[in-house]
Amino acid sequence: MGISMRSMVMLNFQVNVRSGLRRHRLLAAMLAAFLGLVLLEIFDPATSGIFPPCPVHYLTGWYCPGCGSLRAIHQLLHGNLRAAWAMNPLTVVLLPFLSYGLVSSALLELRGRGLPQPFSRAAWIRALGAVIVLFGIARNLPLHPFDWLVPGALLHL
Amino acid sequence: MFCAQCGANNADTAIVCMQCGRNLQAAPPGLAAPGVPLPVTGVVLPPAPGVGVQNYLVFAILATVFCCLPAGIPAIVYAAQVNGKLQVGDVAGAQAASNNAKMWCFISLGLGLGVIVLYMILIMVGVLSGIHGN
Repeated sequence: MGISMRSMVMLNFQVNVRSGLRRHRLLAAMLAAFLGLVLLEIFDPATSGIFPPCPVHYLTGWYCPGCGSLRAIHQLLHGNLRAAWAMNPLTVVLLPFLSYGLVSSALLELRGRGLPQPFSRAAWIRALGAVIVLFGIARNLPLHPFDWLVPGALLHL
Repeated sequence: MFCAQCGANNADTAIVCMQCGRNLQAAPPGLAAPGVPLPVTGVVLPPAPGVGVQNYLVFAILATVFCCLPAGIPAIVYAAQVNGKLQVGDVAGAQAASNNAKMWCFISLGLGLGVIVLYMILIMVGVLSGIHGN
């Protein structure tokens, strides 16, 4: 009896410590994300040097599927949907889904249950991966309709 | 088949919910009316098979788009595998794919951070040599 009580107390303690750690981790992540958004709102990555460059573009000179994302988010924070679209249309399309997914992950951490996932079939995820890769290839093609996908190209029509 | 706990749409053959991991096959009658969430208590219940198998898809996409493309792609592929295996009830396989998805997310994050640190070092060296040159 004494042993089982002790092990129950231990178990409870471990669970509490674990959920406490998770909560702290989540809070730290949310704080970091908020600070990042504030920095993105104040500084334009297109003109300010405080944001690091895209590693892929920096090393190879190719545009990756994410190139222009920070500039797009900066423009979105200022309400310029058209400029954001010109920087990275894929990011603009994916952002609502990513935000939903992040909220769902946070809820999963907090209460053990996320939000409904209507696109959770494996086929949807593979299709999304294919779209990301094809977008990355397309924006590097030196052919006319595709060069509109280069970050910012649509702004200089 | 919609999960009674979280409402996720699962394949009819699914054994556990791919969103929350709830056991879909042996739902106790009466307890799991659709749309009614289970009461949250302080009792630690034995987890149903598949509970906690995350696909890390959001982080895989974030890693692909913001960190390092080449390492993010395997993370997305493994995320798809997690859900594909949960759809056919292969919990062990899903867990293995989940671990791989997580690992590739971290590899992508590490590579991205590595390049950023490298970039900052190069800038510092450039600034210092600029000062020295003057």
